[in-house]
Amino acid sequence: MKRALVLVLVVLISGTLFAGGSGEKDAAAAETVELTFGSWRTDDVAQMGRLIAAFNEEHPEIAIRFDPTNPPDYNATLRLQLESGIAPDVFYARSYATGAELFGEGYMLDLSGESFIGAAYDDGSRAPWQAGDRQFAMPLVAVSHGVYYNKEIFAELGLAIPATWAELMSVSQKIKDAGIIPIANGLADEWDIAEVVWMNIAPGFIGGRTARLAYESGDRPFNDAAMVSVFTAMGSLAPYLPEGFEAISYNDSKALFLLGEAAMWFDGSWTVSEFEASDPDFEWSVFAPPAPAGMKQQITFHPDAGIAINPASEHIAEAKVFLQWLSGPKASAVLGNELAGFFPMVKQPPTLSNQHANDFLALNAGRGLDVRFPWPLLMSGDPSGYNLIMQGSINVITGRMSASAAADAMEEGISSWYGPAM
Amino acid sequence: MARKTTTETHWSWIWYLVPALAVYTLFMALPLFRSLQLSLYSGSGFQIDTFVGFDNYHRLLREGTTADRFWGAFGHTWIFFAVHMVVQNSLGLLFALLLSSRNLKGVAVYRTIIFVPATLAIVVTGFLWKLLLNPQWGAINIVLSKIGLESWVQPWLGLEGVSLVVIALVSSWQWVGIPTMIFLSALQNIPDELFEAADIDGAGRWSVFSKVKLPLIWPIMGVVMILTFTNNFNAFDAVFSMAGANGPPNYSADILGTYFYRIGIAGEHPVGIPDMGLGAAVASIIFVVLFLGVLVMRSVFRAESDQ
Repeated sequence: MKRALVLVLVVLISGTLFAGGSGEKDAAAAETVELTFGSWRTDDVAQMGRLIAAFNEEHPEIAIRFDPTNPPDYNATLRLQLESGIAPDVFYARSYATGAELFGEGYMLDLSGESFIGAAYDDGSRAPWQAGDRQFAMPLVAVSHGVYYNKEIFAELGLAIPATWAELMSVSQKIKDAGIIPIANGLADEWDIAEVVWMNIAPGFIGGRTARLAYESGDRPFNDAAMVSVFTAMGSLAPYLPEGFEAISYNDSKALFLLGEAAMWFDGSWTVSEFEASDPDFEWSVFAPPAPAGMKQQITFHPDAGIAINPASEHIAEAKVFLQWLSGPKASAVLGNELAGFFPMVKQPPTLSNQHANDFLALNAGRGLDVRFPWPLLMSGDPSGYNLIMQGSINVITGRMSASAAADAMEEGISSWYGPAM
Repeated sequence: MARKTTTETHWSWIWYLVPALAVYTLFMALPLFRSLQLSLYSGSGFQIDTFVGFDNYHRLLREGTTADRFWGAFGHTWIFFAVHMVVQNSLGLLFALLLSSRNLKGVAVYRTIIFVPATLAIVVTGFLWKLLLNPQWGAINIVLSKIGLESWVQPWLGLEGVSLVVIALVSSWQWVGIPTMIFLSALQNIPDELFEAADIDGAGRWSVFSKVKLPLIWPIMGVVMILTFTNNFNAFDAVFSMAGANGPPNYSADILGTYFYRIGIAGEHPVGIPDMGLGAAVASIIFVVLFLGVLVMRSVFRAESDQ
């Protein structure tokens, strides 16, 4: 018995010794280059690990270390890292002005000459990461927005999916009469009322992308009738929000919906994987944000993350290899399925195996698409369009301000610093 | 021989100051000076290299939304401080008087209970109180409606004007142990003879308090007041953990600490680009207010205790 054990031990030890001694592996390890990969997605460490593993199957010589920063601190941290020369080799890039500003200061490599970007992404997808005609980052993933609903409650009460705002109101009233909270959203965290409610419904009320361009060019004032109607719609949600909505935070809303206390919830597609992880048996789906009767429904399909290369990196060639691989079909498939709710922006989107992610994606069919309203041009002034939307929505819902006053405040605030000529 | 030693030590004590002086200069005086200097500069991100004179102060005190928010935060900070002065310090004094009374049993137990919150991190107490105050499942509203006070049920942290006071009360609850301990040790230092003398003179409870205890702990009150003032003019974590960096609703719970965080460190959500020159100007104003405030308080309490 003892002899057998000793034998096993000897075999095991010699086995590991020989494996360790194999010459090929050592040579490969010596040539390995390590890239650091910065991101604001601290939730995605495991998923990114699998993406990197897929990359390493084809490119074992490039090791990648995913090193995310807490989302609210990302912009400031990244800037500090870039300015002090300790930034990651490749990193997530915000779309529009926030990203372009870093590029303007020379902290992102000009990728205009990389033909694989143009081959994989169309003009519309590339635009959010362009400054003038120069490409400062490669598009990666977009997020969608919609209204989550509890399938069981809808079935029990025999409710149909509302397509117009009036239908949403009557559905909400029926849910409320049944003693259930109709809509889970609240005001305590502030950002969510702007990003996942106002910016979710606004395109349907103003008329989508063409309307946004008209506001931006100065053809339409920010307090026209359509804009007032968005704020009116925000105010009309008040009776259907949870009791004490003034102090209901984003996480509270999430919990109310997940526990079945609330029947609907305005939110973005990024919550898909979290819901699936917390309660796999929970029956939910999404519908498109209702528009006023006679208006076309619109989806806010927002370019979320691009990926940029640090010009100070010592491994620019390897970083380009990684980006090129990311733009390929295999990476898109892994990304789209691992990060359910984040949609690869490539021309030929991969088939997704995740049902809820597909539900979100299906909303795009036959509807207009646009980015979040203030993102392209209205973010950088003081007061920013974002802040005016946020405070206006809160003030209308709490009844401190009328819808037209909120729209007037928006016109006044934005025009104090923004001009179409700028 | 003895003479010689004294002359030697006369100068050698300076060397004992050097380490402290070096640490103080490096970590306190220099950053403070740099921050005052930074407030006169502007630039993008962390590269602050354009001298702009007092432009940052002008923007902060006079211009548009920036100034509105600053003066809002400035006013709220005084309210935040006032609640602490009134609630935290009065309760602290009351608890200290009760704990120092001779016929109270189980002093150690009460003392521990009062002091325990001060040992917890504000992130923990903030989260705890957020749960207690939650309008949907918070214990406070449930208790209120159980005892028949439905009309008192409120979304406490979501009401303009109310949320700031509620947060200040939670913070007072957390820190009440500190003034209690300071007052208690001051009260315990009063010699027994004074109480005996007061007893013989036939002084009642109130006269003992107002004629013996109060004058003797008066300098300590100055210390407590200065501590409360400095801690609350620098406050940030209570509001940040319970309400967020914007001091919601509608910036009504915004204090100088959160305002400084938004301007100088994190930037406004979601763009998140800080304006460090402006942030340094906020920090400098906080410093000046603290400096003047402490000077005034010191002179008041010193004059009174000298009498």
